[in-house]
Amino acid sequence: MTFGIILAYVALLLGIALFSTRRSKSSSGDYFLANRGIGSFMLLMSIFGTTMTAFALVGSTGRAFEKGIGVYGLMASWSGIIHSLCFFLIGAKVWRLGKKYGYVTQLAFFRDRYRSEGLVLLLFPLMVGFVLIYILMGVVGSGRVIEALTPETFAVSDARTSVVVEAPVTPRIPEALRDRVSFDEATRTLTWSGSLHPKRRGELMAMVKPPTPAWQKAVATVVAKAPRGAVPYAWGMGFISLVVLIYVFFGGMRATAWANTMQTIVFMVMGVIAFVVIKDAMGGAEAATKALLASKSAERASRAGDQVGKLQFLTYCFIPLSVGMFPHLFQHWLTARRASNFKLTVVAHPLFIAITWVPCILLGIWAAAVLPPTTDPNAVLGMMVSRYSGDVLAGLIGAGILAAIMSSMDSQFLCLGSLFTNDIVAQHGHRFGMGQLDDKSKVRMGRGFVVLMVLVAFVVGLTNPGGVFPIGVWCFTGFASLFPVVFAALYWRRSNKQGAIAATLTVGVLWLWFLDEALTGEFLIAGMMPVTFVIAASTIVLVVVTLLTPAPPQDVQDKFFDALGVRES
Amino acid sequence: MTQPPAKARRQRAAFLYMVIFALCVLHQDFWWWEEAEPLVFGFLPIGLAWQLGISLGATLAWLAMVCFAWPAQLDDFDASEARAAQGLGVHTDGQP
Repeated sequence: MTFGIILAYVALLLGIALFSTRRSKSSSGDYFLANRGIGSFMLLMSIFGTTMTAFALVGSTGRAFEKGIGVYGLMASWSGIIHSLCFFLIGAKVWRLGKKYGYVTQLAFFRDRYRSEGLVLLLFPLMVGFVLIYILMGVVGSGRVIEALTPETFAVSDARTSVVVEAPVTPRIPEALRDRVSFDEATRTLTWSGSLHPKRRGELMAMVKPPTPAWQKAVATVVAKAPRGAVPYAWGMGFISLVVLIYVFFGGMRATAWANTMQTIVFMVMGVIAFVVIKDAMGGAEAATKALLASKSAERASRAGDQVGKLQFLTYCFIPLSVGMFPHLFQHWLTARRASNFKLTVVAHPLFIAITWVPCILLGIWAAAVLPPTTDPNAVLGMMVSRYSGDVLAGLIGAGILAAIMSSMDSQFLCLGSLFTNDIVAQHGHRFGMGQLDDKSKVRMGRGFVVLMVLVAFVVGLTNPGGVFPIGVWCFTGFASLFPVVFAALYWRRSNKQGAIAATLTVGVLWLWFLDEALTGEFLIAGMMPVTFVIAASTIVLVVVTLLTPAPPQDVQDKFFDALGVRES
Repeated sequence: MTQPPAKARRQRAAFLYMVIFALCVLHQDFWWWEEAEPLVFGFLPIGLAWQLGISLGATLAWLAMVCFAWPAQLDDFDASEARAAQGLGVHTDGQP
């Protein structure tokens, strides 16, 4: 049932996304930027959907399960302030430049502003690498979520599988489970046949009243050993990648914006529904919080102990600056019809973050009172949904989680296609004997790169790499540390290519230098987020190198400052 | 609509940037770092409720920013785009 609902949701999503392409024109401007015709509401929904991913739903719940309420302050409330600051200071201004000078990608802006192909060729691998890591979060998250939400989907094919355990107590087997469970008095063994949903733990436990420690141990062994019958990780991951590929391939940015609008509505509504259903199943919000306070995990309701450090809490403010450098978000900014379309995004973004994050944080801390502390944090949301809701709601909520994941992946895939096509092939293809790309060739080429990137993400995703959260944080660190480059490009007339290149090199080197530590788990330097040091280094290098080298040509200064009016008059 | 004078707009923007900076300072709520209670509405730990308040405060601060300190150049640019579109016989809402 759960998987059926997910399939139905995906079918609806594809229908809407592909329907939107009826309005599209077969030009590269439409494929990459939806003809710069997106209005306020769709801009808000597509930008919010793009910034919220598995990280916001699955990651936040799992992290709150591990680290308590401090996670909201770390990620969500900082983001509410800083993201809107970026949209206000960077997004709207970039949109105006893009509209005036015809930029399609972030790198096209940097090429023109800094008049440096070297900077573009340096930024390109960094951007592609960071975005691919970001995509992997979604790809890995989707495989894990589908696997966690679909136990017993393949119950029939598992029917021949049996688990036999020793059970010193004679259980009373209810009629409904006679076809699955048998007990042999002679050998005192319990046999379970077929796949087993973890929710059935309670049914098994109830066969012996009161359950003795020996019986509890036998049930735990059965639950651990029986096949789940879930959609395998690789299948779920491949399925979601394929769905995103289909609508990005055929519809480009227009389908992506429509799909994101629908998906943002779905994941926000489903998140609230999940919260309400689980809260009610737990006896109400007050009861759930009181149960937490009475449990061994009571400190999850505060920031006591070593859950979150004070310096870490402070220096996390640099991480949300990453949105200023996300190339996929940059592309979304360029799709706006008017500058005033940004107003709704700037205002509603912090509110939307609160609506999405607070329920997840509460579910995460409440889970700490009911799930074993050894539970995989990335599986917490799926397990809570599975444990406290019926199959229909589990399917709907699963669809919401996948909506959050897909609404980021689509923009990222499209962005990579745009970067390859517009900044590499169109600019450097002649060196490899390629002629000038016409408009249709650009669209074809963009689609080809989207397919290639989906394949790369799928193959890497098959290795099921590390925890989703540390990868994401490190990816954000890379983007955030490049923020001074875009800020200087827009607000510092004196900023030049030498300073930008030096800062970018600094970020690249430091990012690789700390990579090993970053992937081993929570990585702090003197209690602070490493981004603090990387962004400080990139800022210092940018300023010093800029001041030691010649100012940019006068025509660049005129084009980016005087011609647009730096000061209000 | 008459544009507010540039100087007044800059002053409003400066004030609102100070409000946003104040929110960043208030975000560091070390004073109830170790506390879970009181529970706001009976279920929200005080630290989480405070941070939720920061998010709502940010929404209001940004609302004030776009209402009272939206950059004049952006409004001017929208207006000039609209004029150019009308000159070409095209409405800016995208309809022919």
